[in-house]
Amino acid sequence: MAKTWILIKTMLKMQFSTAGKSDMEKVSFGCLFIMVIPFGFFILTMLNSLIGSLYASLSPTENENVILGLLFVSVTIIYIFVTLSTVLSSFYFAEDVESFISLPFQPYQIVMGKAAVPFLSLYGINTILLLPSLLFYGIHSQSTIVYYAFALILWALTPVIPFALTAILVIFIMRFANISKNKDRTKMFMGMLGFLFIIGINIFIRLDSNQNGTGMEEIITEQNGLLDLVTKFFPTAYFSSISLTSPSSLTGVMYLLLVIALTVGGIILFMTVGQQWYFKGVLGLSGGKRSTFKDNQLSKRTRKQPVLKSLFLKEMRTILRTPTFFTQILVQSLFFPVFLVVILLLESSGSLSSLAAGIEGWSAHTTLIVLIAFTILGLGVNPAASSSISRDGKTWFNHLYLPIAARDVINSKLLISFFLNLLSITVISVVILFVLQVSILVWAIWLLASLAISWITSMIGLILDLEQPKLNWTDEREVFKGRMIGLFALAIEALVFAAMLLLLWLVPVFQNLVFSSLFMAFYLGLTLSIGQWYLNKKVKEKYTTLQA
Amino acid sequence: MIELTNLTKTYPGKTAVQSLNLTIPDGKIFGFLGPNGAGKSTTIKMMTGILPMDGGSIQLNGKDISKESIAAKKSIGYVPDRSDIFLRLKGIEYLNFIADVYDVPKEVRETKIPELTKQFGIYDALDDHIQTYSHGMKQKIVVSGVLLHDPDIWILDEPLTGLDPKSSYTLKEMMREHAEKGKIVFFSTHVLEVVEQLCDEVAIINQGKIQFQGNMKEMKQQFKEDDNLERLFLELTQNG
Ligand SMILES: Nc1ncnc2c1ncn2[C@@H]1O[C@H](COP(=O)(O)OP(=O)(O)O)[C@@H](O)[C@H]1O
Ligand SMILES: [Mg+2]
Repeated sequence: MAKTWILIKTMLKMQFSTAGKSDMEKVSFGCLFIMVIPFGFFILTMLNSLIGSLYASLSPTENENVILGLLFVSVTIIYIFVTLSTVLSSFYFAEDVESFISLPFQPYQIVMGKAAVPFLSLYGINTILLLPSLLFYGIHSQSTIVYYAFALILWALTPVIPFALTAILVIFIMRFANISKNKDRTKMFMGMLGFLFIIGINIFIRLDSNQNGTGMEEIITEQNGLLDLVTKFFPTAYFSSISLTSPSSLTGVMYLLLVIALTVGGIILFMTVGQQWYFKGVLGLSGGKRSTFKDNQLSKRTRKQPVLKSLFLKEMRTILRTPTFFTQILVQSLFFPVFLVVILLLESSGSLSSLAAGIEGWSAHTTLIVLIAFTILGLGVNPAASSSISRDGKTWFNHLYLPIAARDVINSKLLISFFLNLLSITVISVVILFVLQVSILVWAIWLLASLAISWITSMIGLILDLEQPKLNWTDEREVFKGRMIGLFALAIEALVFAAMLLLLWLVPVFQNLVFSSLFMAFYLGLTLSIGQWYLNKKVKEKYTTLQA
Repeated sequence: MIELTNLTKTYPGKTAVQSLNLTIPDGKIFGFLGPNGAGKSTTIKMMTGILPMDGGSIQLNGKDISKESIAAKKSIGYVPDRSDIFLRLKGIEYLNFIADVYDVPKEVRETKIPELTKQFGIYDALDDHIQTYSHGMKQKIVVSGVLLHDPDIWILDEPLTGLDPKSSYTLKEMMREHAEKGKIVFFSTHVLEVVEQLCDEVAIINQGKIQFQGNMKEMKQQFKEDDNLERLFLELTQNG
């Protein structure tokens, strides 16, 4: 145990020490922290009133424990997600994995050590999410001191089981699915898995509630009925809720003991699985498949292309072949629209096709504004643009000695973000035309505006990245981690487009589609020209001075 | 022809290259010799347009690198000292990318790519990602890329470090052939022996300043006569 403790301490020290972080990073971290305080305050207030109103509406039917159920279920889902990615990178993809394996430790000790950082981060999230929520519930239900004692214990226990089970799942998959032969492919697979998981859960929950839709009233009037439904797939969430609903009763105590027992069981299972299977999954990592070049490929593979196309393909291949870029850029940029499609399709198939119906009631003018606002948000969060230069890392200097015009390099990067946005735009188009059944005219205007918005957001991201690119990375994740650039980009986009949307909304003459289209064409054209001019200026200033 | 005039570069708190003057005629293998930290890589980075210079000028085949940069860069091929090339590309994709950039005709690609890569023994690996290459293989794919577009000026930064004897021999042969075609081969090294084997002419750089320029015979003469150079000579032979 002493050795495990040493390992854990070392891991934590390595992760959380401030050595090697630049002042810039420290300052921006401090700024972020200060910025978060009012935001956090706002969220907490919202949470409080949400819990309050839910309590008020559910307590007459004695269904108030649904709130607790929902709370435990949602944090469990969130913890599963966070754990999936942190455990994978800590257990399998971190650079230091191999150096620890060569040390004389038992597998379970290494697993415990490697779990320390992800687990502690999970407690951070736990403190932000669950602790205040339980507190608010206690206040609204005018609970006794026993409730708060139980709540504190359950707060401390809740992250353990999702963490342990997810980690076990990951270790299991890595051991048996035999995907670990190729590290890159595994990373991609896991990225996709997370994505599919969210959508899957969504479909599942929705289908389930649709089925039971008719019996809803019955469920609501029956005590604990609603709770059963909500927590069906997460037994610990159910036990925790019951225990907290009647803490001073025997049932409450029994359920609390049950949760404690399950938690201990989870930890033991986690250590056992780690001891058995962790090494077997890790040792297969590294290396890729070798192939032999075929003579008949030569002619096909040596086709002549314009430099811009060649650069574009190089960028695209890099994004598709680098797991971190693939998940952070491609999957992420598609996530928003695809998620939307899934929700809308399911809604409209059930009894709740109210959204389409609601939109039918809107004027074309309102529909257009809402669609455009949504598109701006969807395209604005695409990290392809704000990682344009940083993605190159230490290979950036290759652009400098090759006889390629700066304009071509920059344009190829703009085209990449534009192209990836095009995928999202296509998905949103399908929703607009087939699910929301907006008129072709509105769709066409929206499409043209979206293309311009896509180009503008691409430029904003690129300009910001050009200003202060992160080229000196050793792991691709550093391109995205701890950089404020995505937030900055969103803030600037908000400023740029809010003016346009406000004018469209407020000026009466823009109720007319012809005038609003003309106005948008003018506004977007102007923004585009200013952006292009500023970009050219920045490129002249910075392009040759960027060094890794 | 390469002409460096009063070339100067200062890093914060340190002058890496100071008023450097060099003229290199066509058809020569030119060695740029100096101990670690002498300023060789800094000079080469300025010659290839990677690093902006603080003073002076660089003419490559009559084109100024900072004024007509694209035209000047078209006439050079560069083999960097680090192998940070586009790792996610496959070997063949990298070579075709280079060929696109330098406008190499398709027929030339189809004949030269197999020829060069077979000479280096990396032909079979052309369909693998460069990321999976060893340091030597990366070096070889970059050299293949350079020879594919057959530049008038070939610049190499410490090209022989990390190559096995056979590859080292092949590379030296290629450098000789290139110079025999009337083109310039400019390379840096910290090993005196390499210069003696390979070069027509040599410049010795130390602490950012040129200490000597001339042919091999003159160099040996100077080493005997000049105290400063003799000390440097010892440093360079011990380094190797
Ligand atoms: N990016 C840099 N920042 C500060 N000093 C540098 C940088 N690059 C090189 N130097 C310094 O400039 C001098 C010359 O370096 P370099 O040209 O790399 O030497 P060489 O290639 O001859 O070994 C060295 O003293 C080195 O420390
Ligand atoms: Mg050097």
